[in-house]
Amino acid sequence: MAAPTMEERKACWGARDEFWQCLDSHGDDAAKCEKLRRAFESRCPQQWVKHFDKRRDFLKYKKKLETEGFHPYETAGKS
Amino acid sequence: MLRSLRSLRLLSPPLSPPLSPSLSLSPPRRHFSSSPQLPLRHRLAVTAAVTFTVAAGWLYLRHQKEQQQQQRHLRHLRSLSLGQGDFQLQDTSGRTRSKADFLGSWVLLYFGFTHCPDVCPEQLERLSRALELLEAQPGLPPVQPVFVTVDPQRDDVAALRRYLRDFHPRFLGLTGSPGQVREVAARFRVYVSAGPPDSDGDYVVDHSVLTFLLDPDGMFRDCYGSARTAEELARSVRGHMESYRPLSPPVTTA
Repeated sequence: MAAPTMEERKACWGARDEFWQCLDSHGDDAAKCEKLRRAFESRCPQQWVKHFDKRRDFLKYKKKLETEGFHPYETAGKS
Repeated sequence: MLRSLRSLRLLSPPLSPPLSPSLSLSPPRRHFSSSPQLPLRHRLAVTAAVTFTVAAGWLYLRHQKEQQQQQRHLRHLRSLSLGQGDFQLQDTSGRTRSKADFLGSWVLLYFGFTHCPDVCPEQLERLSRALELLEAQPGLPPVQPVFVTVDPQRDDVAALRRYLRDFHPRFLGLTGSPGQVREVAARFRVYVSAGPPDSDGDYVVDHSVLTFLLDPDGMFRDCYGSARTAEELARSVRGHMESYRPLSPPVTTA
């Protein structure tokens, strides 16, 4: 299986960006962005979809740290 | 700079005495001599001279401190002595390359793989842009961009050729057997870890995102993480070029 070309990469990134923009404007409600999610999954290799999903989680977490700060006792949970 | 300040004071013309008698208790004189109250202009001149001296001294000390920090940074990088020893890899035209082939030129080396989702294209774009910035500056030696794959199973010579077409035209791709690639990555302390394959057999390779700068003696000079911009890279490479002293007479490539 050949690696994606530059055009394929850009198409994938474009689909990802559209999907993420939709999520941003609907408060991360994936149900509202079904169509864009399907387009994103069709344009990108499966491995990349997983990678970008993890990346989105990381970026959201990072933003949360930057705006709200780090609360270790909340994330640790009840022991 | 201090010498010129001193000569400035010697060259200053004799000051005329104050016009209003209320400014000075002594009668008006033609030439300035030891009067109890210095004229304003002379006081200003002295203040300016002192300020200049202090400012010059401060700038000089700050420059010295920056030099010392840079030297310390270089010593630390040199002590890491990354990329020591030879390597044997295949380039995109199928030729075997070893380190000796790169002696005599500056090298910017990046480890990545062609199935990389986003990081590698970004880093290669940045490298290409940095090269363009360096090429635009006259008098600087050319830099050889090199891409070493961390996924030799999939990235053969043809795959690298296809991939690198989209980046700087002089980009050289290197691949080899898994053992050869593993050895080079280890020499540069680059972390490489292939992830689990999915149903298509596709997988991503987790790896350190670093661009290494090697000097014409094949010695490691600096490394750049993903956060640095192309402009910062170009500035840093130029700095290294300017402070570079060859270990031996320049190697003439046949």
